[in-house]
Formats: sequence, C-alpha cells, structure tokens
Amino acid sequence: MSNDQSSQPDTLNSAERATIDSSVAAPVILFFGTAIFWLLFGSVFELISAIKLVWPCFLDGCALLTYGRTSVVSVNALAFGWATPAAIGIGLWLTARLCRVELARYKSLLAAGIIWNIGTFVGVAGIFVGDNTSISHLNFPGYATHILLLAFILIAVWAIVTFNHRKSGPLYVSQWFLVAGFFSFPWLYATASQLLVWNPIQASAQPAIAAWFAGGFFNLWLAPMGLAAAFYLIPKAVGRQINSNHLSLVAFWSLLLFGAWSGTSRLIGGPLPAWMVSVGVAASVMMIIPALAVALNLHFTLDGHYAAMSWSPALRFTITGVSMLVFTWVFTAINSLPAVSSVTNFSDITRALNLLGYYGFFSMTAFGAIYYIVPRLTGKEWPSSCLISWHFWLATTGVLLAVSVLILGGLIQGFALHDIGVTFRSSMDFIFPFRFVAALAALLIVCANLAFALVFAGLHWSLRRPGTAPALIAVREENSQEPVAV
Amino acid sequence: MNKLTLLFTGIFLTFGSAWVGLVAYPVANLGQMQPLPNEETGGVNPPTVSGLAIAGQKVYAANGCMECHTQQVRPDPFSTDIAKQLGKRQTVPRDEIREHTPFLGEYRIGQDLSNYGARQTDAAAIHRHLYSPTSVTPWSNMPSYSYLYEYRKIVSQPSAHAIQGLTGSRAPKPGYEVVPTQQAEALVAYLLSLNQNYPLPESPEPTAK
Repeated sequence: MSNDQSSQPDTLNSAERATIDSSVAAPVILFFGTAIFWLLFGSVFELISAIKLVWPCFLDGCALLTYGRTSVVSVNALAFGWATPAAIGIGLWLTARLCRVELARYKSLLAAGIIWNIGTFVGVAGIFVGDNTSISHLNFPGYATHILLLAFILIAVWAIVTFNHRKSGPLYVSQWFLVAGFFSFPWLYATASQLLVWNPIQASAQPAIAAWFAGGFFNLWLAPMGLAAAFYLIPKAVGRQINSNHLSLVAFWSLLLFGAWSGTSRLIGGPLPAWMVSVGVAASVMMIIPALAVALNLHFTLDGHYAAMSWSPALRFTITGVSMLVFTWVFTAINSLPAVSSVTNFSDITRALNLLGYYGFFSMTAFGAIYYIVPRLTGKEWPSSCLISWHFWLATTGVLLAVSVLILGGLIQGFALHDIGVTFRSSMDFIFPFRFVAALAALLIVCANLAFALVFAGLHWSLRRPGTAPALIAVREENSQEPVAV
Repeated sequence: MNKLTLLFTGIFLTFGSAWVGLVAYPVANLGQMQPLPNEETGGVNPPTVSGLAIAGQKVYAANGCMECHTQQVRPDPFSTDIAKQLGKRQTVPRDEIREHTPFLGEYRIGQDLSNYGARQTDAAAIHRHLYSPTSVTPWSNMPSYSYLYEYRKIVSQPSAHAIQGLTGSRAPKPGYEVVPTQQAEALVAYLLSLNQNYPLPESPEPTAK
C-alpha cells in the first residue's frame, strides 16, 4: 500500500465533518431532489420510446409524442435533468469535504440549482414544441442552453473559490477528477453550443465537433465525476487507503488524454477527414488502459473486504457502477475496431453501450453516492432497506437484461444491415424480439427509479425517527471486523 | 501530484490538444467550403436547393427524423453501403454545405436517406408515406406523421393540394380530404432534395470490381 498521503480520503474528525456537511446540505439536496424528478421523467419517456420501437401504433399520430421527440426528450432529460445535476451535487459535497472548508455563500448555489432546472424545463419544452436542434446530446434549443450555461458559471465560480480556500495538504485523487470534470464541462458545452447551436458554422465542419462533444460529455464530465465519488466512497466505506497512487495517476491521465480524443471513432467512414476517425479509433482502443487501471486499483483496495457490499447500499451501487464503467470502455474499444464497427455501426449495439455507460455506470454510481451522502447531510436514515434492495435488483436486472439483448440483437441486425444479400426488412424482423425484451427491461428500470424516488421522498418526510440505526440491506455479520459504513 | 497549478496545466494541455485537433482544425479547414462549378449545366455542385427545401430541414430536425434515419454513405471497406445501392459514392464534407445541421444519424432503425430524392421523385407518394406509412409499406415500423396534415370536410371545391390515392385505415371518408400543411410541403421538398448524384473530385465513384 502506498504511503503517499494523497491516497487518504481525509483526516477530519466527526465534528468538523458535520459542520462542513451541514453547510452544503441545502444546495446538494436541491440538486439531488430535482435530479430524481428528471430521472423518473426521463425513464418514463425512455419506456414510451422503447414501446414505440416494437409497436409503432402506440400513442401514434400526436405531434408531442412522436418517437422522434420522446426519445430525444428522454436522452436529454436524463443527461441534463438527471445526470448533470447529480454529478454537480456529488461534486459540491466532495469539493467541500476534500478541501476541508465550510461552504460560504450557498445562496448562489441555490440560485444555480433553480436556474439549472428552469433551463432543463425550457429545453424539454422546446423539444416538445419542435425546436429540437437534432444534434446528439445538444438537442436543447439555443434559448435553453444559455440558461444552463449561466447556472453552470455560478457553480464553476464557487468551485474555483473553494479550491483556492482549501486547507493545505496533498490533493486527493478524487480532487483531480473533480477539477478535471468542473473544468471540462463548461469548455465542452460552451464550445459546442457556440459552434453548433447559437451561431452554427458551416455544416461540413460540424460532425467532428459534435462527436468531440458527445465523447467528451461522457468521458470527460460524467466519468470523472462518477470516479471522484467512487475513489472517495470505496476506501472510506471499507476503511482502507487507495491501493496504489501510481495506478490512480495512470487512470487519471490516460482517461483525460484518450477520453478527449475518443469521440470521433463512432463516425467511421463518415464525412470527415480520415485521420480524425483514425485518432478516435486509436484513442477508444487505448481506453482499455484507464479501464484496467481503475479496475485493478479499486479491486486491490477492496480485496478481502467485498463482504461490505452485502449490507452497505452505497458500496454495492458504487462497485456495480464502476464495474459497468470498465465494461463500457472495454466494449467501446472492441466496438470501435474497424472490422467490428463495419458490421455493428448504426445497429442497436449503440443503444446498448449508451445504456451501459449512462445508466449502468453513471446512474448506479450516483445512486451509491446519494445513498452515502444524504443521511450525512440531513442526519436522517433511509426509511426502508427493503425498497433499497428492490431498487438495486430492479436496476441491475433491467440494465443487464437490456444491454445483453441489445448487444445480441444488435449483432444480428448489424450482420443483416451489412450483408448484401439480406434485405432491410429482414434486419427489422431480426431485431424485433430483442427490442421487445429491451422494452420490458425499460419497464424494470422505471420501477427501479420509482423505488429510489420513494426512498428519497420517505427520508425527507421523516418516515423514520431520527437516531435510529442505519438502513443496512442485510444483517452485518457479528464477528465482522468491518467498520460501520452505510 | 500536490500542486493545483500543475494539475490544472496538465488538464489544460491534454484537453486543449483535442480541442485544437477536433474543434479548431475543422473550423479553420472545413468551415468555409464552397460549391464547385458544374461545367455541364453552368450551375454548381452540390446544386443549390429551393427555399422550401431549406425550411424542410427544420421540420426534419423538429420531428427527430434523425433518430431513425442516417444520411451518410460510407465507403468500402467500412461498410457495404455502395453495394447496397444507398448511394453511388461516399458522402464527403462538401455534400453537407447546404445543410444547417448535418443529419448524419446514429441508427438505421429506418432506411438511409442520403439519396432518397434519387430513389423517390414523386411528391404525392412521399405525402402518402408520411401520412400513413403502413398503407404504403405494410411492414413499416415508421410512425404516422398525420399531424402534419389537415383532415377536413370538403366545402364546395376539393383542394388542389389534397393527397390523392390514400388507402388504409387513415384514408379520408367520402366528403373529406387530407391536405398537407406548410410543414409537410417543406419536409417533402427537403426529402426530394436529398440527392448526392453529382460528381465531386474528392469522392470518385468506385469502379466496379
């Protein structure tokens, strides 16, 4: 185990921790609470879209509910209503804790949270009424993007101020990821909005920039924020240090370098210079390096302590989420090899990998972080361990089922689309049963999110008296040496 | 790694390198493409399109057509698009210059549309397809865009723009007619304009093997 101090999460005593936690409570709860609303909203529209794919007559002939709008609404509500605010909430709490400063001027953050949600609402409404820009992950019309960026500037200013006031000491690995995420997101979003939405440049130059944004949104914004949480919670929950500082360094820098260039791999054969695609493919394949570095580092940190997963919801969700991130990067690496992508491109495998990354990794990790953070902010415990257990199993089953059937079906569909002797109609017939199962899986995910929303609402309506024991999802073994970590 | 400035510089350089390569480079090198003169017709390649077709791009975007339809023909060996007759040559950046946003797409839930206007030249047939896809292609999984059309009672004279030859469950009852809205007319004009069958020196047609 490394003796470097930067592999220790923090050395605060419980009173200091409580003061810092209570100073961030209001804005963090605001971001989490609204995020969960959009999570439910987005996943319901994801379900509607999944049903429409197997049964096009479902809610047909209505402008607001045509497939082209419901699917776009679900992607953007999940990306900007749920994932981004959840990442911001996690980021605010971790920043305050790791910089060891009490939060000053939290009203600007409350304002940012409210403005952000107004922006998301305006954006979703804009898509419904027909102002969709049709740029992947940037579908919100320009008037909504301005509002979102304004909110994020307030948050970024706060983050810079907090980092400047931090108590001296080495920067912990989570802080590297936080700085990277808080720095990348506004740059990505402002560049892409300016060049593609507000004052679009000539369309011939747009595909590369759109691909750069879509790749960066996941690899440079959501992945660093999720990993920041994982690198804090996992060692905390098992009471150990991060196994290797060197592996953390490798994971961090390889993620930043290759993640930034990886987006263009999905445009293989498309209308942009061939070298851009080659660089994208190379970078996507190299993402194996951060995948292995994260997996090995966290595995050696947890080695011998995996039992804590059985009772700690935070740990169980976080570890599941990070494992799915490793699979996302490995599958994306395989899928971007030209020999593979010539078959799989434009098939439902893209849906599978998006689901694995956004829901399997990010949402699961964010659930874990929220289960860890909120009781510490409010001083209340989760109301029902049974519902948490349902949440976990429904979410895991849903995402794994959908991903496996869509990969399998996507392969068959891809070969049908590729084979000169097979008609387009056959590709539709082949994928049909797989899309049907994927729609069932979307229903499981909606139920999982509903369970989560109920648990979250139950905590705030105090369905459980303060001072009761933490909600463990299994009985802790009596002879266990593990520290209490929920 | 203890210094914030060092960390920040590192992030700035790695992130900035990709920004220069994938944002600044395309803006500088692909952002001011011009159409090429066409010596045969005296026009340009790609040909200019009507204002109605440009208005149709907005309708195409608003209804999320891109969620199911790609608009890119990829060369061998990355695909079999040309052998499958989706187009005669690969799509290149210059093909996009008439567009406001390039609708490349990520899924082929429906057919590729790069050269839809070359395959289908009959506006009335496209209207019928948009209004009621399954009446034209029974196995289609395309939703109906009937909300882009006005279903109304014929008062005195039938409209000259009404769609003729509609069959199936959405067909108008006697005494009624289905008339395209301006949005539907624009969308059809746009779909008819999707045709990359003009020569570009940077994208030669592959010779038959």
